[in-house]
Parts: sequence; C-alpha cells; structure tokens
Amino acid sequence: MLEQLVKALAELEEDRVLEIVRQELDCGTEPLSILQACQRGMTEVGSRFESNEYFVSDLMMSGEIFKQVGVLLEEGLKSASQVSSGTVVIGTVAGDIHDIGKDIVVNMLKSANLDVTDLGVDVPPARFVTALQETNASVLGMSGLLTLAFDSMKETVVAIEEAGLRGRVHIMIGGGPVNGDVCEVVGADSWGADAQAAVRLAKTWLDVGAQT
Amino acid sequence: MQALYEERRRRIEKTIALEPVDRVPAAFMGMAFAPRYMGMSIADFCAVPENRTEVTLAAMDKLGADVWDGINKLPCGKIVPQLTAAWLSHIATPGKELPADSLWQVQETEVMKPEDYDVILDKGWPAFLEGYYPRVIDVDELADMKAWVRDNIAHVVQRCRDHAYVPIAYGGTATPFEYLCGGRSMGRFFIDLYRDKDRVRAVMDHMLPYMIREGIQAAELSGIPAIWVGGWRSASSLLSPQIWDEFVFPYFLELVNALADKGIVSVLHLDQDWTRDLERFKELPAKMCLLNTDGMTDLRKAKEILGDHMAIMGDVPAALLYAGTPDDIFKYVHDLIRDVGPSGLILCAGCDAPINARPENMEAMAAATREYGQVMAGP
Repeated sequence: MLEQLVKALAELEEDRVLEIVRQELDCGTEPLSILQACQRGMTEVGSRFESNEYFVSDLMMSGEIFKQVGVLLEEGLKSASQVSSGTVVIGTVAGDIHDIGKDIVVNMLKSANLDVTDLGVDVPPARFVTALQETNASVLGMSGLLTLAFDSMKETVVAIEEAGLRGRVHIMIGGGPVNGDVCEVVGADSWGADAQAAVRLAKTWLDVGAQT
Repeated sequence: MQALYEERRRRIEKTIALEPVDRVPAAFMGMAFAPRYMGMSIADFCAVPENRTEVTLAAMDKLGADVWDGINKLPCGKIVPQLTAAWLSHIATPGKELPADSLWQVQETEVMKPEDYDVILDKGWPAFLEGYYPRVIDVDELADMKAWVRDNIAHVVQRCRDHAYVPIAYGGTATPFEYLCGGRSMGRFFIDLYRDKDRVRAVMDHMLPYMIREGIQAAELSGIPAIWVGGWRSASSLLSPQIWDEFVFPYFLELVNALADKGIVSVLHLDQDWTRDLERFKELPAKMCLLNTDGMTDLRKAKEILGDHMAIMGDVPAALLYAGTPDDIFKYVHDLIRDVGPSGLILCAGCDAPINARPENMEAMAAATREYGQVMAGP
C-alpha cells in the first residue's frame, strides 16, 4: 500500500493520497513510514520536474498535498524521531516581499527531510545572521524576485562575513532574474534556477558537511 | 521634430510588418529606472502623474535622444492604481507603506476567495469588480487615475511627439488567467486549476469578453493602435502543457484575434520562459503581434519559429543591466541584432530595465544600438 502512496503522490492524485494515508493510519502503520513514503513520492515529483515532465504548477500542487499529509500525520509524528538531514535557513531578502518561489523551495526542502527555518520576506541581514547563529545551520538560501534584492543579498553576505560565519555557511541564491553573474556579484557560493536545484545544492553541501 | 517622429513611426510599423528597415529601431522601457536615473524619488514618480511622463522623456533624452525610436508603453497616469487594476492585488506604494525611494511591489496574497468565483458567475465581472476593488485600493484613487488619463492622454501622446518618440502601445489587457491569478494569489490559483477546474473555466469564459473590451477601449482612448497583452504568471515554464493548453492559449488566441479584427496590434508582454509553446503562437494573426519578452524566452528559437509571423521586441535582461558591464551589454546587443534582427526586431530592455540598472549599462545599450543597429541592417 505504501508503494501505491508513493505512486499516487508522484501522480498528484490528491484524494487518493489522503485516502491511503487515512487507511494506513487506521491500520496502525507507523506515521514515520507513511511520511517516508510521501517523501519518496516528492522525490519522484522532483525528478519529473528536472526532466521537464512536471512544471512549477505541479511542484506547487505536490507541496499542497504534502502539507495536508503533514496535518494528518502531525499527531502521530510527535513521538517519532526522524533524523533530519540538516538545517537550512531561508528567506526573501530585505526590500523584497515576494514569497512564491521561496515557499516552493521551502516545501521541497522539507519534503527532502531537511529542517527549514523560514524567516519570511523582507528579511534584514542581521536577522539572517541571528538565525544562522541560533540554528547553527550551515546552509543559507536567499530569495529575491526584484533586482533590488541583489543589493540586499550582497549586504547579507557581508554581514555574515562580519559575524565570522562565512567559513561555515554555504550560501545559495535564487529568484526570477538570478543567474551566475548575479551570484558572483553578490558573493554567494551558488545559485539555483528552480526549487529542485536548491534541494540538490543543500543536500550536496550537507552531505559533504556530514562527512567532514 | 515632426518629420523625425514620422520617420521613426514608419520604422516601427515596418518592423511590426516584418518589412526591411534602414536600422533596428530601439524602444525605451525603464519605468522605475527613469526617475532613479534623473534623481527623482519613486514616491514623487508615483504621486504626480505628470512626473511619470516628463521624467521618462527626460531620461530617454539623457541616454541618447538620437537612439530611441519609441517607448514600449505610453508613460501616462499613476502607475500604482494601474498596476492594481492589472493585478487585482494591493500594491505597496513608495512614500506610503514603503520608503520614498524604494520600488512599488505587488502584495501577492489571497484577496479573492474561492466563493468569489460564484459571485463572478452570478453577478457578472463588472459588478464583481465594483465590490472587489475596495479590498485592494482606495476606489477614489482608482477613479482619479482613470479620470486623469481620460483628460490628459492626448497631451501625453503629444509630449512624446514633441520629443519624436513613438509610443508603441498604451494600456493593456490580459487573459482571464492573469486577473484571477493576481486576485487569488499564484499559490492558491494554481491549486484551483487542479481542484476546481470546471468552475475556473466557466469563470474565464465569462470574463474573456470583458478583457477584449478593455483592450479595445484602451486603444480607442489613446488612438494608438497597439496595446499590451500581458502574460506574467501563465508562462510555459510555470504550467504543465495540459493546463497551458486548456487555460491559457485558447484565451490568448481569442483575445488577440478579437483585437486584430479591430486593427489593434497585441504587444505580447511575456515574463518568464515561453519557449516550449512558441509553435502555438503561429496560430495568432500574422504581423499583428509583437513578441515582447524578458530575457528568459529563447529568442533565437522564437526567430526560427516565428520569424516570418511576428516581430520581436526585447530583450536585454534585467540581471545583465544590473550585474553586467558595458562590454557585456555591447556583446549582448550585437549578438541579438545579428541573430534576431535586423528586420522584425525592436531592441528593448527585457521586460523593464530595473530601478538599479547601472546607468553606464543603459548608456551602453543605447550606444550599442546606435552602432550595431545601423551597420548590420545595411543600406
């Protein structure tokens, strides 16, 4: 049945996914196992996105389904302990209030079993620094749709350097007009054209971090 | 000045008609760049409609009065109420909710609720809008903007003529998708397209005639036979082909055809990447569209597929204007004219030159157009 759940989520069959989750819970299946099946479904969604079979709207729909599954599993997961693959701090930078792209990335990171500290929009550099200190996260994602955001990204990188955190924090940026040139100007480590790229970067960095 | 204006107007008309030109025409587009470049606060730009017109013309003159044949969109009226009407969202305004010199921003939240679909179907789009606008704007501000435009648009057109700049389009409309997406928010609306597709389709079918009428009225008001037909959230890169084929293109087709029947050119102002579906654009009426992209759609591909069907306007990317060097800009313009021009191309910033575009890059864009547009088009 859990294989069917993986497939149903990958096919974005909302009603079917929720039906299976309820059935599994009724049968006494561990909520953590159900969650992991859904995470596999989300991984398949990500793969289809990368192969141009799925598009942003499909990512959003999968995120919506995953969120609902989370609500159904919330109670049962309280006592379960799943070891997170790492922590990512993320936010839309100061002066920019766009959150659509950031929210898609947050959903995809969460479904990839990462802890995400989402600081929201219009986040000043100092708040990014504080969050990195508080969470001890080693990955930061900065989002921005406006070119004005690039200046804020640059200022945030400087603030992280001044706080002495740059050596342990990998920084990725994303958002409509971001590209390699912008990444260089801003001083980030890398950039992503889409949510799946963000997941890939974060996992790569966190895997490497875990090995060192 | 009148002779120069006519020369430029003919050049742009020939480009849209895909006829040979003596040089590649250039159009200015830098709504927020203009006041920043000229030292005007964005709050002042937003608050006083005359400022928008005059500072735009002044910025074009300063960048190179000999370069610009036209301006992508007539700089007429207050920008914030106009954007509100296009997005059906509250726009955070510099000098009000935002610092005086920051950029206006669309606040994309779920203002329109799912039950509003039924209101639209029951009461009709105009009645719905009347009840909806107060959720996103002071309705007096919206009415004032419309009245100002009605009373002053002829003067603004004349001001452009005085500078010999041809306004390529005025006003705009969009497919029902864009209005609903703005009101519902992208996050909610995209989910509606999966969960509630029959109701969404019924609403779109109801709305389309109003979108057509809006476009025709804009052209009649200005006397400029071209309007923007916007596509910002309905891009191919954002939607699955099934959704795009069902909820986007059929409405584009009907809208653009209806405008073309009235002799109105559709400036397809498309954000994001539309490359996947360029083939479908061949179904739009020939030589009655201007494909106006933002640097993300593959214009080489567009030229290959649509080169004998519609002209292209674009597309020096915003990120390049911010992060690039003048040399980068020269190369971009050179390559664009080489690959996509010289006929059937109007050189322009992609979407809109950003507020913090480096002035030397904008100047480089003007200089590169002057240099390569002439040489490469030949005698």
